[in-house]
Amino acid sequence: MTSAAFTPSFRGLIIIPAHNEAANLPAVIADLRQHRPDLEILVVDDGSADGTAAVLEQLNVRWLRWVERRGVGAAIRAGLRYAMRSRFTAVVRVDADGQHDARDIDRLLAPIADGSAEVVLGSRYGATSEARAGTVGAAQRMLAAFISLVTRNSVTDPTCGFCALGSRAIRLLAEHHPDGYPEPELHLFLSRNAVALTEVPVRARGRLSGRTSLTPARVVAASARVLLALLIVPVRPAVESLHD
Amino acid sequence: MTDRVQIAALAASILLLLLVLELVRRRHLAEEYSTLWILSALGLMAVSWRRDLLDTAARWLGVYYPPAVLLLVVILIVFTASLSFSVILSRHQRQIDRLIEETAVMSAELRELRSEREPRASNSPLQLRR
Repeated sequence: MTSAAFTPSFRGLIIIPAHNEAANLPAVIADLRQHRPDLEILVVDDGSADGTAAVLEQLNVRWLRWVERRGVGAAIRAGLRYAMRSRFTAVVRVDADGQHDARDIDRLLAPIADGSAEVVLGSRYGATSEARAGTVGAAQRMLAAFISLVTRNSVTDPTCGFCALGSRAIRLLAEHHPDGYPEPELHLFLSRNAVALTEVPVRARGRLSGRTSLTPARVVAASARVLLALLIVPVRPAVESLHD
Repeated sequence: MTDRVQIAALAASILLLLLVLELVRRRHLAEEYSTLWILSALGLMAVSWRRDLLDTAARWLGVYYPPAVLLLVVILIVFTASLSFSVILSRHQRQIDRLIEETAVMSAELRELRSEREPRASNSPLQLRR
């Protein structure tokens, strides 16, 4: 493990939003503990009904919970509120399905540690020129092009959830992290509020077990929402509470 | 419009106004949300009282049957009301969201404080690192 030389005041928290991921959580958390034992882990149980609660008791992690599913955006917002109140200075968001590789966390945290960025977004397509095949790939490329155009930033992977946040971003997003299918909207929001962000390449893996929660109906709904966000978020007033 | 219709319309709008005021009096309707309904009742009262207003509006709009304008006004009121309900609903949704998140964070903080104070009595084996 080679972690960047952090200042003594550095306190890092890994936030894992989870909905019915009891089967994957133990392996994901073991992987994280092996690579970054210095980081605390917070699982946000988003209304799971598969025994995730019991698994969390066994895993000796911090957790938040509510009874009905509210979505990944709400889970992250709550996790960031927790991080802010417990005075964590950096947060890494990791998915509960095992798609994110704990070895990439060092790379995600480095720009935050050296102060060059407030938000670091993982990109599965940044380093490799690996072609994204099929309709989903084409849609993702188009979305990436649109978001790059709107934010005047080079965005290669607007739907990747693997990211790291510094303390200013934690404060901002604890209140304003978007709902729904939040990753593309998060890019637009951060750009609108002039938050310094950068992309780093991360490894892409499949889910450990279980199935993705994306159904065709959800994809259509999410696309409509993203289209609306593309039009609206850039012309929204910037959030004021930033300049403190 | 016959006089009978005019009287009925006037009575209905006065009843609406009284109903709204009574709901506010009993605190079944917040003052904040009563404005729209009071304005609507007053507007309906005005067009029932002065039917020439309705006739003028109908001529100006090119509508041959003046009572159709009344229908248009009512539809407009209902539309405005439901849009304002959506706005209110969105605000409440946001407030509830923040409340759920704050409660979840606070209950986690409480749980962690308890497990620090009485590690054996607690269900959670969490030992916080400092």
